[in-house]
Amino acid sequence: MQLSLDHIIPIPLKDVFAQRKSDVWNTTLTLDMGQFVFVKAPSGTGKTTLLHQIYGIRKDFEGSVHWGKLNLNNAGPEELAKLRKDQLSIVFQDLRLFPALTAFENIEIKRLLNEHISKEQVAGWMDRLQIGHKKNSLASTLSYGEQQRVAILRALVQPFSWLLMDEPFSHLDQANKHLARALVQEVCTANGAGLVLADLDDNNYFPYAKTLQL
Amino acid sequence: MNPQKKLLNRLLLQPVGKSRLRAALIALFTGIFLFLSSVLLWWNFNELLHGKNSNDALAATYIVIAKKVTDANMGNPVATLFSDRDVQSVAGAPGVEEVGEITANRFPVYAMMGGELGFATEMPLECVPDKFLDNLPADWAWKPGDKVLPIIISSQFLDIYNYVFAPGQGLPQLSESTVKSLNLRLKVGSEQHGEMLLAHVVGFSDRIGSVIAPRSFIDYGNSSYGASATSHGPSQLVLRVSDPSDTHFTAFLDQHDYRTNPQNLRWSRIRGVVDVVVAGTGLLALCIVGTSMLVIILFIQLTIARARESLTLLLQIGYSPSILGRFLAFRFLPLLLAAAFTAFLAASALQYWAATHIPVQGIRLPLMPGTAVWAAFVVVLVALLSWVWLAIRKAVG
Repeated sequence: MQLSLDHIIPIPLKDVFAQRKSDVWNTTLTLDMGQFVFVKAPSGTGKTTLLHQIYGIRKDFEGSVHWGKLNLNNAGPEELAKLRKDQLSIVFQDLRLFPALTAFENIEIKRLLNEHISKEQVAGWMDRLQIGHKKNSLASTLSYGEQQRVAILRALVQPFSWLLMDEPFSHLDQANKHLARALVQEVCTANGAGLVLADLDDNNYFPYAKTLQL
Repeated sequence: MNPQKKLLNRLLLQPVGKSRLRAALIALFTGIFLFLSSVLLWWNFNELLHGKNSNDALAATYIVIAKKVTDANMGNPVATLFSDRDVQSVAGAPGVEEVGEITANRFPVYAMMGGELGFATEMPLECVPDKFLDNLPADWAWKPGDKVLPIIISSQFLDIYNYVFAPGQGLPQLSESTVKSLNLRLKVGSEQHGEMLLAHVVGFSDRIGSVIAPRSFIDYGNSSYGASATSHGPSQLVLRVSDPSDTHFTAFLDQHDYRTNPQNLRWSRIRGVVDVVVAGTGLLALCIVGTSMLVIILFIQLTIARARESLTLLLQIGYSPSILGRFLAFRFLPLLLAAAFTAFLAASALQYWAATHIPVQGIRLPLMPGTAVWAAFVVVLVALLSWVWLAIRKAVG
């Protein structure tokens, strides 16, 4: 499934972005399936806005976003739900966990949509990212770094063709960054999926096929 | 409950307490119960007034009319009889469904009774078409040569005897069954040309205010012993009318100087008032059921509003509006159905109670609610479920 952006520009920031050079805003861009793409976005350049727009959460933009043949501008709630369930996964910058559920339940509620992988596999991944011992702790009681790893695992338990990540390792130490990065790459490869990672500064988390300046 | 539903339950349904849910369900139950009760009230009145088993005491759809005796016509008996033309005119009057002629005897009838109740009196007899009798006794037949004559007397006669005459004269009061067991000796015709019969009371009538004999007897007596000089034609007519209080009908009676028992007309007016009251009750019940449905909808909307963040996040991680809508519907609809069916059962119990207690008053009610009540219940149920489903769908986007 190809991602095509055609002259998208957020309406609230239209005046600012129209005068600035960008590899993404107000231009035509196509990303092929399986590509790992890094979006370098200094503060205030619309990194989160971009990911929310291509994930279909925000519709306040001009231009068009196509996931394969699906035009996000015209997609209904059911089509969006299907896209997010089977094709498109995301790690939000603000994580967006359910505070009333435990770490495991936060992942489980996503896994139960498809049951693409088993519960045991999830438990194994939690151990691998060193949050197995927090399995039954409420998400609201976890540190931000632990929550970040729960959010990453939640994004990995579904089948997907594209994974969107918004500053996914910002609160992880080097060791945990390494563990999380390795798992993400492994699962993306297993799914044959592409990845769009947006961050403030350059990084070498993945062998990017493309780097875009926002 | 499967694990997914368990988690959704915690995210979407926990925020609003169970006591609020119970209160909303009680409101719904009360609303539907009151609505069904008012439909039952309307339906029972309708059955009593217009149904197949309509009760005369309530319906008053049968009335007897006669021409007014005035100073001008009091010397001329023929003037107070109904001609064929009069009968046709009455048959065509507004609201008149059927007309029956009440034919009186034109021959002497003398009734005697011996024993403690001994009396002897001239007895006027009348006959009406059988279909105008409220209760047709099984042995309601007479043919020339029969020595026993069945008669039906007005219930008012027995009341006058029991409550006015007997206490004043120191005589025993009589029950209907006792009166039916008594025999009267009737002397029919003149001293020279006549015969003796035994009259036997076989029933009582609320409709006709006199003594009724089978038509075959009146015709026989009139032709065998009747005075040929007296005029023919009925002196009274019995009418079946759709609504005796209809102003067009009462205007017709006034216009032709016909008189009837004004009590019947008055009761009909009361019936009209009852109809209005029942309709008013129905309107009120409709408002109550509407309000109770609104309460349950607001409760559901409050539940969803309190779980808005979870709901939004669920949609963002791939849950579809249809999955979430179905989940919420399957959580709420069984409770709503339970409240609605309990209300229906309570209304049915009320009907059963009314049917088993009211017959003491001489009124017969069906034991179970009829089609109209079922239909009202189905309409309320469909409206409720559709409204709730729409509210849920709207809330989950």
